[in-house]
Amino acid sequence: MAIRLSVTARIALLSIALALVSNLALVGFVWKTTSADAIDAIRRETTEQSEALRAVWRSGGLPAIRQAIGSAVVPGDVSLVLAVVDPKGRAVVGIAPERLAVPLRVTQFRIARLGADELWSARETGYALHPLGTYWLLTGRNLDLIAAEERAIERALAVAVFLSLALGVLGGLVLTRYVGRRLDGIAKAIEAAGEGDLSRRVDMIAGGGDAFDRLAARLNVMLGKLEGVMAELRIVTDSLAHDLRSPLARLRTKTEQAVLIADPDAREAALGGLLVETDLVMRMLTMVIEISRSGSVSRDRFIEVSPANLLEEIGELYAPVAEDAGLVFTIAIDDRPPPMKLHRELISQAITNLIDNALRHGAGGGEVTLRIVHQTDGVAIQVEDRGPGIAAADRAQALKRFGRLDSARSTPGAGLGMALIEAVARLHDGRFELADNAPGLIARIVLPL
Amino acid sequence: MSRKILIVEDDASTSAYLAKGLAEAGHAIEACADGRDGLFLASEGIFDLIIADRMLPGLDGLSMVSAIRAAGIATPVLILSALAAVDDRVDGLKAGADDYLCKPFSFAELSARIEALVRRSDRAATEPQKTKLSVGDLEIDLLARAVSRAGRSIPLGAREFNLLEFLARHAGQVVTRTMMLEKIWNYHFDPGSNVVDVHIGRLRRKLEDGFPTPILHTVRGAGYRLAVEG
Repeated sequence: MAIRLSVTARIALLSIALALVSNLALVGFVWKTTSADAIDAIRRETTEQSEALRAVWRSGGLPAIRQAIGSAVVPGDVSLVLAVVDPKGRAVVGIAPERLAVPLRVTQFRIARLGADELWSARETGYALHPLGTYWLLTGRNLDLIAAEERAIERALAVAVFLSLALGVLGGLVLTRYVGRRLDGIAKAIEAAGEGDLSRRVDMIAGGGDAFDRLAARLNVMLGKLEGVMAELRIVTDSLAHDLRSPLARLRTKTEQAVLIADPDAREAALGGLLVETDLVMRMLTMVIEISRSGSVSRDRFIEVSPANLLEEIGELYAPVAEDAGLVFTIAIDDRPPPMKLHRELISQAITNLIDNALRHGAGGGEVTLRIVHQTDGVAIQVEDRGPGIAAADRAQALKRFGRLDSARSTPGAGLGMALIEAVARLHDGRFELADNAPGLIARIVLPL
Repeated sequence: MSRKILIVEDDASTSAYLAKGLAEAGHAIEACADGRDGLFLASEGIFDLIIADRMLPGLDGLSMVSAIRAAGIATPVLILSALAAVDDRVDGLKAGADDYLCKPFSFAELSARIEALVRRSDRAATEPQKTKLSVGDLEIDLLARAVSRAGRSIPLGAREFNLLEFLARHAGQVVTRTMMLEKIWNYHFDPGSNVVDVHIGRLRRKLEDGFPTPILHTVRGAGYRLAVEG
């Protein structure tokens, strides 16, 4: 059966393995160099001693070397091997096995077991053999100390392995816990989003800024945007459904009444009313589509348009309407800006919406001005009225899709006009703003040059 | 006057509704539901007008219109579509359609547009370019851009003259508000307020004040008609 490991468990195992390998490599290196250095030292000592004693032999013969060996042997130094051996391998003087188990021939430096008896069979000795006439000079040192060092290092090695395993497990657990917790937070936020809860965010470590934090920050920004879009979508859907109910209810009632009217003229009048209601619904739906589509309008729809000419055309279309409503309608173009690349239809629609709003809500003020202001950073197309205006605090609400102020609830409209203007301004990289005309409202589309 | 009209529409109920309404208006109707069939039938060159949906199986409406134009067929095409945004209409007209009407549509508007389209293509084919139009006692001099009624001169602004000329070119037919917005002001959206009515009202006062008979009539729920009636 294949065992499936979680990512955190794999990370923990990996950290254990890494700790183990690095500790083993380190201890192994220490073991190797310690051992090599010690043997080198013994080789040097053995060679030097051998040469010195051979010189003593040459100058003083056997008595001199006997004395030299006697003074060289330090009591308590159990590792020193120093002896004169007869041709049969028996030690004549000094410290050596009873009988040598190695062949008697010139040996520079070798490591071997020197004796076969109990005391010497277990230990290895680094030694050198040189002839002294018919005798042989044996110099060397038992490797017990090195072996002891090696055992100590090996014990350290075992401890190291144990410690690495323990530390690895501990580190793994800590890592697992840390990584797991961070990943868990991210996974939970994503799961919640998948289930429709977009309000959940991933916690970040204060002052952290590690990869998890960066991931969390980006995820949070994405979730925030998504939440905003979803909220707007919900508002649009709710508002659309809500605002459609009234005209549809009126439509239904009027249809019912029309069906029951016997007089042909009266019925025709009633049916005419139905068409007006239907057109209102259609206009709302068309505008919602225009607003949502305005974000994806391609640039090749933009044509060179003179903003001043456009304003004059629209002004000419609306002047009679304003005059019929008893308003003083003025078109003010002080400085003609150069032609600009615009989506003529959408800009025209936005401007007519502005004028429509001014006629509907600002007519009481008696005047409406359509003005173009050529600024350094762009062109402002604005409609000014002298009506009640919109309080600064209410302006954001007025710009929202379906955002209608209480004061506007009594007049027809679905609160889409301003949202369309805003969308059109954004499409042109411009902005839509409302300002105080003291008294009245200035609604302004600013297009960058 | 009876016309031969091809309807290319895959929605059976819309197609049937159109066919019934147009047949009642005296036209001869042929219908198909597939873009390729539409192209095949259109290439016979026997129709006075083609009404096409945009979203069609086989070959979509825009491609069909482009293919019809590429084949050198000049039959007027009216696209009837639920795709109602400004850019959709521009796409339709650019593909070679002569007119674009959004669903849901009013039958009065459809009829008015059909008449306008076929009349225009008739005129293009047969009549020399007129320099004067007359409707009853109303005379419109297109070269001098002067208007008179019963011999009395009526001064009109440039836009008013264009409006009257458009109405006179379709004298006796219903001309809708949308058609006027499109042809006179070049706006492919509904401004929402009664702008067209206001302009028509002004024009009507100039044409009728001081004259015993009305000449510019309101057709309730549809639009306006320039005609001498009764």
